[in-house]
Amino acid sequence: MDHDVLPMPESTSMDTVTLRPFVLADLDAMMAWASDPVVTAFMTWGPYTSRDALLAFLRDTVLPHPWFRAVCLGGAVVGAVSVTPTDDRCRAELCVVLARAHWGKGVATAAPKRAVAAVFGDLDGVERVEALVDVDNAASQRALEKAGFTREAVLRSYCVVKGRLRDMVMYSFISTDPLVK
Amino acid sequence: MEVQAVQGGVPAAEPELAITLREFTLSDADAEAFMSWASDPRVVRFQRRPPLHRRPRPAAPLVPRHLRRRPPRGLHLRQARRAGPRGRRPPFMASVGYRVAREHWGRGVATRAVTAAADAVFAAWPWLRRLEAVADVENPASQRVLEKAGFVREGVLRQYIMLKGRPRDMVMFSIVDTDRGEHKQPVVETHGP
Repeated sequence: MDHDVLPMPESTSMDTVTLRPFVLADLDAMMAWASDPVVTAFMTWGPYTSRDALLAFLRDTVLPHPWFRAVCLGGAVVGAVSVTPTDDRCRAELCVVLARAHWGKGVATAAPKRAVAAVFGDLDGVERVEALVDVDNAASQRALEKAGFTREAVLRSYCVVKGRLRDMVMYSFISTDPLVK
Repeated sequence: MEVQAVQGGVPAAEPELAITLREFTLSDADAEAFMSWASDPRVVRFQRRPPLHRRPRPAAPLVPRHLRRRPPRGLHLRQARRAGPRGRRPPFMASVGYRVAREHWGRGVATRAVTAAADAVFAAWPWLRRLEAVADVENPASQRVLEKAGFVREGVLRQYIMLKGRPRDMVMFSIVDTDRGEHKQPVVETHGP
């Protein structure tokens, strides 16, 4: 896979974040964030405690998925971004997860920016990319807003996270929205 | 389920209609009633399916299987499961949709039916925490029905649902159990990591 390998700047710019499909060899990198309870605190899944379970997920869900990408920073895999079609042909759901060591550097903004720049061309019929963020997850909300997503609504009692029913903020990026540079 | 929702004390120019909700039956009468609105382009304007042209054949079930729970005035309730990239979530959510034959518009039928339906399902389904409904941004009548039925307007979801081949902006509404002063058992997750 080709990457631009650049010296790591102090603040990460969009240029150093790239997306590529996952391969089985990415398992260990995945384990770094998938096993981290702080990373998965707002997720409906995890934390993974078994490498075998994560391997099964990588092999059976990630590799055949229509749009699941590794987030790479200077060649290292630091997270994942997926866009999953829903029952409605026109809309797909975006999810972003990043290893904690790479929080606060702008990667969480760069990954969805890269995703929306590519996904409308890749997924036929999709006009809307939506993302659900826990009402208490201010950092992820800011990241999506900086990536050009529109905050549309708070959907109440919408997701079960770690055994609790949560209100979720709905964000969207539609195919005619301007890409943020 | 049978639900009576008779609204008294409302000034009306004509006798109040008793609104009852019941399941569809495989009867000619129900099929005729169903066809009366399902073939009316004004009724199905904001509905995904195009107008029906032919009554279902008598040899086949008179009402298609997925429509069996709709009462003849056209209210339907669906148990909705949300599926994310990591698998299905347990059911705690349902969505409601409704259609009313054209000749019964303008008399509060839909509002009373939707109110009765919300009451009925929150009583009948102990797992229900959220009942949601969407209305097209260009359908203010339907938005008013939901507001009068006690739904909370949450926001406009852009290009949310395909309607007759085009994505539409939809207004999302919901009633959650705490709106009704109810506090149910915590939702139990049934899936692993």
